[in-house]
Amino acid sequence: MTMPPRLRRFALAVHLTVSVGWIGAVAAYMALDIAAATSQDSQTLRTAYLAMEVIARNVIVPLAFAALLTGLVMSLGTKWGLFRHYWVLISLLLTIVATVVLLVETQTISYFADKAADPTTSGDELRALGSTLVHSVGGTVVLLVILVLNLYKPQGMTRHGWRKQHEQRRKQREQRTVRVP
Amino acid sequence: MADPPRSPDIEPHTTPRWVKVSAIIAAVVVLLVLIVLVTGGPGGRHGPSRHTGGLGGHTLPARVTAHGV
Repeated sequence: MTMPPRLRRFALAVHLTVSVGWIGAVAAYMALDIAAATSQDSQTLRTAYLAMEVIARNVIVPLAFAALLTGLVMSLGTKWGLFRHYWVLISLLLTIVATVVLLVETQTISYFADKAADPTTSGDELRALGSTLVHSVGGTVVLLVILVLNLYKPQGMTRHGWRKQHEQRRKQREQRTVRVP
Repeated sequence: MADPPRSPDIEPHTTPRWVKVSAIIAAVVVLLVLIVLVTGGPGGRHGPSRHTGGLGGHTLPARVTAHGV
């Protein structure tokens, strides 16, 4: 089912907002992650771990689900479809992978925050916790790839999309021949 | 004589080159990640299991216990 133009524009605005917001939130998270990876100061580490959990749980996870959901709405409610074009399919798969890795990683972030919130945790223990920098950098790369795919929409139909297009064209031809005796 | 232009209707399905190249890059990245996971990689054990033990119970990460803290 194709959405009417006004609704499509609104859905696109929501999808763009949450998707770009996701990238922005990850950038803010990464700044704290870098502090956690490089700082030797206990106070900085404690603050960074606590803030990382707040951003991940309250901003990044909701935005990831919102981007996935609005992306599904956009693809199913427009001519693009979900499985017809490679760029849509790859974007969907990458978004699902990024969301799953994020959910798994949230457990690690919560562990760091729990340790940071515990006043008995020593500075050495905090310094030994490390960071999630590999995941946040990897996640940013994946999100940027999705962004580029959505902006440039590279050509190429999947086998399913190609078949659907042929069926549609055949039907149109048949209708034309019926009308013109 | 040049061939007459083919109708797009009868063009066979082909996978675009950018999809093939992306698939190769993705396969290499997945392979590298698997190697890091299997060998332990430069950062030691990987994944949330290094921080959480069993049914959600938390244990100290390997690096902390290794330092004897």
